[in-house]
Amino acid sequence: MDKKAIIAAKLAEWELKLTDAELDQLVVPYENLLRWQGIVEGMLKSRTLVAGMRMPESEPLLIHALDRVDTAFDKTGGA
Amino acid sequence: MTTAPELAYMPISELSGKIQKKDISPVEITQAMLARIDELEPQLHAFNIVFKDEVLVAARDAEAEIQRGDYRGPLHGVPIGIKDIYECGPTTCGSQALENYVAEEDCTSVAKLKEAGALILGKTATYEFAYGFPTNQSYYKPTHNPWNLARDAGGSSSGTAASTAAGMAYAGMGSCTGGSIRWPAQCCGIVGLKATYGRVSRAGVYPLSWSLDHTGPLTRTVTDAALMLQGCAGYDPLDPASANIPVPDFTAKLGRDITGIRIGLLRSIYEDDCDPKLLGPYHEAVKKFGNLGAEIVDVPSITLTQLQAIEWPGLFAECATIHVDNIRNCGDKYNPHAKLFAAYGLLVSGTQYLMGAQVRAQVRDDLLNALDKKVDVLMLPTSGFQINPIADESPGLSIVSSDFSVYTPIFNFTGLPAIQVPCGFDSDGLPVGFQIAGKPFDEQTICQVAYAYEQAAEWHTQHPEL
Repeated sequence: MDKKAIIAAKLAEWELKLTDAELDQLVVPYENLLRWQGIVEGMLKSRTLVAGMRMPESEPLLIHALDRVDTAFDKTGGA
Repeated sequence: MTTAPELAYMPISELSGKIQKKDISPVEITQAMLARIDELEPQLHAFNIVFKDEVLVAARDAEAEIQRGDYRGPLHGVPIGIKDIYECGPTTCGSQALENYVAEEDCTSVAKLKEAGALILGKTATYEFAYGFPTNQSYYKPTHNPWNLARDAGGSSSGTAASTAAGMAYAGMGSCTGGSIRWPAQCCGIVGLKATYGRVSRAGVYPLSWSLDHTGPLTRTVTDAALMLQGCAGYDPLDPASANIPVPDFTAKLGRDITGIRIGLLRSIYEDDCDPKLLGPYHEAVKKFGNLGAEIVDVPSITLTQLQAIEWPGLFAECATIHVDNIRNCGDKYNPHAKLFAAYGLLVSGTQYLMGAQVRAQVRDDLLNALDKKVDVLMLPTSGFQINPIADESPGLSIVSSDFSVYTPIFNFTGLPAIQVPCGFDSDGLPVGFQIAGKPFDEQTICQVAYAYEQAAEWHTQHPEL
């Protein structure tokens, strides 16, 4: 399957249909995306597993959110 | 006797003293700004809308308050511009899709600035939804660069940058997801301050990418940037990323000696591809810091390609989340490439996005370690290429190519505070600048370092001929 067909198929999953000319413009950026995927994976693998095992970026937001709600939660872990 | 250009280009730090002493009235200043907008707007297109009547009413109110002794502080009676993605009256986001939208209330940062006494001149032009470059074919026309009218002003906070540089406003607010405060500030030869992620509320500002979006000021001087930040910073429960920490006096360290300050150069990002036209003035700035007593050291970091690999997939995946329904239903109202950028984000897989988030944390921790153990601030150019001429037709997806060498996103995905400072002009007379970044929530130190350079180099005293 060529890149253009892959792009069209992926966008179809989102119910988005583009013209041929529009799809053509996405081919090189899509190839860049795949190249960047390899670069990011390489950066991730360049660290030891332990150093790389961090919480996802979104994780601390839960803690911040507990600071904001008029809380019924006990943030110290009590009942 | 103050001449009209002197008044137009007066720093807020000086103007505010005259307002407080009642040497000049907010009404007089506002009328002068409106006259200058009338004169220059046809050339620059820096504003999407000017609040002529409303700002004069606000100016008269400010004048009355000051006359009766109720002076609020350095922004009281000072006319500023607001990027047209902030909710404040008509808010188009530079898109035909929102041309009739009127916000019911002011967003948090505008409300804070009004509370500090600032007068809102109008809504400044923006790249469509803060990412879609306008062209001569666009529904909302591009902003022209005051230093060279054939060129773009940079973006996405193009109108705020151009109006501030041209003396059509004393300052303005921009937003920054990959460099949209610092890059247009460089292109227009002014200061842009992106504070730490969480320092300034984004509530009521149209999002582009919530994990990268910041809001902040563009000004003509470092002192004015600190004063504007003072007016808009602070905890806001309406922004889920807002930091509930005290707001210090951002001007407190201005004027302090920088002897012994350790400046870390992030050479690996810019050394291979920065246009020598821009690199020359940058190297002169590094030398000047040495002359001022700073210690210059190297800090190993990522490359430009790695920077792009981290920034753009995450940004456009989040962008697509926000725009997917719109581009399905009214994509024809977007700039052609703005629609395609949103579609591009749909091609990013969940794993790509999450790997990017992990690597963001790696880079952030590396920079935090360097700032903890090795240096006080970080330095690098703002971009590696000259701003392009205004395009006649859609430029395609040029941002997501290796040629788009803006060096600003590293401080969006790490969240560190960063300030852009002008450092002269290239051989074509276009402004050049650099960034100083610092520890989280230590905007005081980056302002201190930037101010020391600004006062020694004096580029801020030069203005475009219009």
